[in-house]
Order: sequence, then C-alpha cells, then structure tokens
Amino acid sequence: MIRGGTTHLGIPKSMGSSRETSLLLKKYHGGYVVLRFALAGHKQANRPFYRIVAAYNKRARDGKYLEQLGSYDPLPNICNEKLVSLNFDRIKYWIGCGAHTTKPVAKLLGLAGFFPLHPMTITDAERQRAQTELTATGTEDGLLEGRKEAEV
Amino acid sequence: MAALGTARCLFRRYSWVKNVQKSKQMLVKCTARTLCSGTQDNALSDNTKPQFTDAAVQDLLTRITGLDLEKVFRPIKQELKPPTYKLMTDEQLEEAVELAKEQAKKMLQMPPVLPERKPIHDVLSEDQILEGMDTAKYVFTDISFSIPHRERFVVVREPNGVLRKASWEERDRLIQVYFPKEGRKLTAPLIFKEENLKMVFSQDRHEDVLDLCLVQFEPDSSDFIRVHSATYEDLDKHGKYDLLRSTRHFGGLTWFLLNARRVDALIVHMLKREQLQDAVNLVSLFHMVHPHSESAQEASSQQAAGAELLKIYAQKESQRSGYIELALQAHEQMAAKSASA
Repeated sequence: MIRGGTTHLGIPKSMGSSRETSLLLKKYHGGYVVLRFALAGHKQANRPFYRIVAAYNKRARDGKYLEQLGSYDPLPNICNEKLVSLNFDRIKYWIGCGAHTTKPVAKLLGLAGFFPLHPMTITDAERQRAQTELTATGTEDGLLEGRKEAEV
Repeated sequence: MAALGTARCLFRRYSWVKNVQKSKQMLVKCTARTLCSGTQDNALSDNTKPQFTDAAVQDLLTRITGLDLEKVFRPIKQELKPPTYKLMTDEQLEEAVELAKEQAKKMLQMPPVLPERKPIHDVLSEDQILEGMDTAKYVFTDISFSIPHRERFVVVREPNGVLRKASWEERDRLIQVYFPKEGRKLTAPLIFKEENLKMVFSQDRHEDVLDLCLVQFEPDSSDFIRVHSATYEDLDKHGKYDLLRSTRHFGGLTWFLLNARRVDALIVHMLKREQLQDAVNLVSLFHMVHPHSESAQEASSQQAAGAELLKIYAQKESQRSGYIELALQAHEQMAAKSASA
C-alpha cells in the first residue's frame, strides 16, 4: 500500500484522498465508485426524497458516501414540477475519475440532456402511451356498452 | 482493459455532451447584477443617450439625493441592544463622523435601473418519442457553486418531450430554492398586489415597499419595474418627495421623472425648500438626458450656469414657469438683502 494505512477490516482510512489510484490498488476488491440515489429523510413514511451521491459500490445505499452531487424529489410540487438538482461540475469530475452511473441516474441525466436519452426511457414512454390508449379505448367501450344497456 | 473501454465510452459520451453544452451556451449573457458604481460601462447603452450608470449622471443624482445623516441612520427595527457610550476628543469625533459618512454613502448606493428583461423561449431539443411519459415536468438546476446565477442552467423537460430553458420566473424561484437569499420569499409577498400597494401608499410607507421590492425581485424583472413605477407615480401625484430624500431610492425616482419629462413638480418642491443648488443640478441633468429639447440647446448656446439655467428652463420647458420665476426672484432678493445686511 502506497497511501495511508488501512484498518483491520480492510476499509481504507482516508476514504476521499486516493480515488485516482483506487482502481489500480483494489483496496475494495473490485470496488468502484458509483453515482446513484440514496434515500434521505427515511424517518418519514411515504415521503421519498433522494440524494444523487457518489459512493463506493459496496457501501450501504443510505450509508457513508464520498460526495453529494444533487437531489431528486419524485413527488411533484404545487407547480407540478419534479425538482432535480445536479452539480454538473462535480459529476463531470467523477465520471472523469471513472465512476459508473446506475440506471435511474443515467435516465435522469438523459432527461436533463447531459447524457443521450436512455433507451429504457423511450421504451417506458411507449409502454405508458400504449397503456393510456388501452384505458381510453377501454373506457370508450365501457361507455358504449353502458349506453346500449341503458337503451335496452 | 476495462479502463480503456470506459475511456472510449466516455469519449463518445463526452463529444455528445460537448454538443449539448454548446447549444446550452447560447444563453443570452446578461450583464452581471452589480450595484451602480460611477465607472461602470453598460454594454447595451447607445452612444447618443446618457444612461443611468454614466459617471456624470450618477454624480448629479448623488448630489440631489443629499446626505442627511439623521435620516440615514434613523432607528430601524432591530434587536434591542443597550447603547454604547464612548468618550472622545474633538478629533476622534470628527473621525467618527467621517466614518459615518462613508458608511452612509455605502448605504445610499443606488439600485440599478435596467431595461426589462426579455422572456426566454429557447428550446434545446424536441423528443416526440417521449410524449406521454409522465404527467409532471422535470426541472433540472445546475448547482455548481462557482457559476454566477445569471449563467446557471435551469432546464425543464415537459411531459410532451420538449426540453426547454426555464422562464425567468421559474429561474428565480429555483435559484431561491437551492441558493436562498436572505429576505427573499419563494412566492412574492401579497403587498405587491395593486390594491395592497394603494393601501400602503396611503400610509406613506413608500420606502418600505421599495426596500422589500429590492430584496424580493431582480432589478430587470417586470414586477420590479411595475412596483417601482407605481411607487414613483404615486409620489409624483401627491408631491411627497421628502419621503425618499436621502435614501437610496431618490436617484431612481429622479431618473424616472426625467425620462417621463415631468420634473416641474420636483423643481417647484425643491425651490420651496430653498434648495437652489439641487434644482440647478436637476436642470443640468435634464439637459444631459434630453439634449435636443429647446431649453438644452438654449442653455448650451448661452453657456449658462446656476440660476440662469433655471430661468431658461422655466421659460422654455416647464408648465409652471410662473412659480419658478417668482421663486427665483424671491431668492435673488434674499441674497441681495443678506449681502447688504
């Protein structure tokens, strides 16, 4: 080990300092940095709020992270907006350091225009449209049947 | 190796990202919001018309505003602290008064007068494939710390798949969410509605309204300009210029009246208080702003100064010339009396 020592559990003492060499030194066997969601405010039921976070892969979802890069509020506010904040400066840095992104983060970045659109976003949109058409035609058929029954 | 693979993937993505970033950088770069200093260069000014930020204009406006220490440092609503007493020699007292004057000058810095900002209509991409994916819009804000707020990216993805830049109101609201400014609320206080403004004006609290407006709105937003013009109109109607004298808003008031060419009432008011020098400054400012008016040309041809400027202005431009000439005569008589006595 070139940089500072490790504790007896093999977890590096100085978490934030040696990111550039971590891939080579494999302190966390096969561990890598991810940009992912971490649930915040878990003391409130039925009110999710996510932080977009750079953390080691093996860490717990809500555990210690390297840096917070933004937030995502999945429930729309009064103006029917879902607020997402992204620190593009630091996201660029972490991606430059070799961080991976999870699917939801990649989808959000695609929606923002920072990444190209994720294929699953398009697939989900098509599925959603098919669903709404089904329910629309379903209700139309139901209305027609209701009228027929009323006539009869 | 995996690193090479990721590097290649990143390079591909980076070139895409670069294109997106370039299209985002087509933002209209507004001038950064600063409080007026005399030597500021306004990129949007015409060469012919003097702007609010010109050194000469600012100088004249500060002179007209006046420096009444009593009013600037009058008790504001603050936490109650017991007063401190200091024993000073005369020199120390003078130094303290000088310091107080410097601080008063800082407090009297005029808020900027900018033209109304143009609405943003930029569309970054239209993805019809995404139509119907969600019922709510996604608003993405860039929280990098070292970018000025004017250049921040605030981008909205609508449910019909259109990726557009956020409008000015949305921008202000979101920047307040992520970078809260003291005193600013997310939704504008109800005091800025028309009916409530009228009530507040009847209570003579124009200054409080203007201070609140300054904190709440950006200087080039439509709300800011609307509230300011409503306040100035009301002041002009009732002639209550003294409420704003020696505050930071007096320059704005004077500039508004100058551009509307309704300075008569203000000049009459000044002459009533026997502030001749202020009236002269005001008239010279008027000539600077409207150099093609008759009185300006007359004055420049005669190279007039002082009370004569006022006479020329009274004859040529004003509707209340009678009063101004009377006041001038009275002033001259007083000067003659004091000279002889």
